[in-house]
Amino acid sequence: MPPDTSSPARAGIPGEPAAEAAPVVEMRNIRKNFAAVRALRGIDLVLHHNEILGLVGDNAAGKSTLMKVLSGAYIPDEGEIFIEGRKVEINNPLHARHLGIEMVYQDLALINHLDVSANVFLGREKMSARLGRIGVVDKRYMEQETRRLLDRLRIDISSVRLDVERLSGGQRQSVAIARATAFNAKVIIMDEPTAALSVAAIGKVLDLVRALKAQGSSIIVISHRLEDIYQVCDRMVVLRHGCKVCDYPVAGDLHEFHERVVAYIVGARNDFPEAAVEPGQKSTQTGEQS
Amino acid sequence: MSERTAKHISKGAAEVREAPGRSRNALDRFLTFAAVIALFIFFSFTARNFFSVRSVLSLALQTSAVTIMGIGVTFAIISGGVDLSIGSVVALSGTVAVMAAIAGVPVWISMLLGLLIGVVCGLLNGLMVTRLKLPPFIATLGMMMVARGVALTITNANAWPAPEAFGALGNNTIFGTGQEFPGIPIPVLIMIGVAFLFHFILSQTRIGRYTYAVGSNEEAARLAGIKVGQVKVISYVICGTLAALVGIILASRMVTSQPNSAIGYEMNAIAAAVIGGTSFMGGMGTVGGTVIGSFIIGILTVGLTMAGANYFMQQIVIGLVVIGAVTVDQLRSRK
Repeated sequence: MPPDTSSPARAGIPGEPAAEAAPVVEMRNIRKNFAAVRALRGIDLVLHHNEILGLVGDNAAGKSTLMKVLSGAYIPDEGEIFIEGRKVEINNPLHARHLGIEMVYQDLALINHLDVSANVFLGREKMSARLGRIGVVDKRYMEQETRRLLDRLRIDISSVRLDVERLSGGQRQSVAIARATAFNAKVIIMDEPTAALSVAAIGKVLDLVRALKAQGSSIIVISHRLEDIYQVCDRMVVLRHGCKVCDYPVAGDLHEFHERVVAYIVGARNDFPEAAVEPGQKSTQTGEQS
Repeated sequence: MSERTAKHISKGAAEVREAPGRSRNALDRFLTFAAVIALFIFFSFTARNFFSVRSVLSLALQTSAVTIMGIGVTFAIISGGVDLSIGSVVALSGTVAVMAAIAGVPVWISMLLGLLIGVVCGLLNGLMVTRLKLPPFIATLGMMMVARGVALTITNANAWPAPEAFGALGNNTIFGTGQEFPGIPIPVLIMIGVAFLFHFILSQTRIGRYTYAVGSNEEAARLAGIKVGQVKVISYVICGTLAALVGIILASRMVTSQPNSAIGYEMNAIAAAVIGGTSFMGGMGTVGGTVIGSFIIGILTVGLTMAGANYFMQQIVIGLVVIGAVTVDQLRSRK
């Protein structure tokens, strides 16, 4: 761990000038164990303003765990998180949300039996009146706002009063993403946003991601589909066995990119070999990682 | 005439569509409502005197207990649980209120005490489900036995006569005009009030919306920042409180402590909710649906009795209606 914790705005990635301001998110030396399983073994991660970061890795590489730490679903055993340069302790999803971190879960986390606008506003209902602790929901306001949001993001859903269970997979994904963006999030995390979607729907979701960036959002995309990462991301981080093995801008042609990323994913290449060593293990390292 | 009825019903169904996330239920309720009308017309022809002000009022009075309990259990079922203890809670709260009144406590305070018993039973059910992580079926099954046992213990299994003033709530009517109109029984008015109040809570308030969310997808609700445990506890408290309300009404109607009253009522209440479109998977159901479900059971019971069918026959018919209603629901949602 670097001794100087007072200046979180370290240089982000090789080949890029030091960030103009503090990065939106900086995670340092994040560790998380589940009983004997070391899911995260000291990961550093930086997300800059208005950047789309791709997070790649094989199954059980730690992508989702790392993002659940950032979104408050898991509490890390060790490590620090900075949001816009301010150190934060994220204890639960609601807290993460207050900090401006929104997660779009892989299983979408929508309520099938509620309609689109109820889902978008779930947990943040606009109230028209309060009788003690009983709040009366302002349906008209929420429906209008939801319509506006869908129109702004060019999401094609005929009525905000449709039950979510009646929507297609792509529409459901769009609703989940729209919900994450509805409240001026600083960071939007998307876990496998294109999994189990038709080709046409994938295109629409990727367009939506680009549209969000154009509107100034900072986004982390977890995906198995390297084509998606290649198409929308500015930079990518590859995880393997709970360690970061690659942190590099997305560039070059697709074929070359694909081969390089696969090499990192399967372990043929590693830009951070020291990081793979555990403290306390027999090694030449001092045990701490930078 | 039938055309006009149909038009009226479809207008009602369109208004129902306003409720969030229940577009399918609008159709369900249209069909169940149509079934009520059909049953009513059927019995008007087959049973003499079925279609009269008096028999309608007596039907409403008889149905009020199961309707109010059904509205409570609808909350528990929508939140993903169930409450088997409500029949026993009816008996316990009723006997506690009567015994308190006999002991000299003013009638209205003893009735409030009965209500409080319902709140406590609901709270305990909720805490068993959320804190001890017991399956709702088991937790409320235990409460069903405990509450019944306590009711029998405090009365020594006897029907003690309550002070006369205790009977006003259950036996008085208002708006009566003597011979031609006997007046509306107070329990019927309470039922109507409860139905409107809890329809409003379920469809227009945040806690209502959260009840659906928790029952439909508990994990998603938690991730959205909803306090899932709190929502569940509230649904059981509503359920227990409404059961206690019924307990007080029934005790008042009998003007005695009845530790053996309302045995099996929980099943009728659950049947009413299920006929009315409440899904045991959670996340689906409406107060209006449950009211209609309860009236279907009520009309069948009264109608079959007046048509000369015996009690055993009624049980068979109501059982088949429950199975039929859920089957139709399943078939429709599979499409």
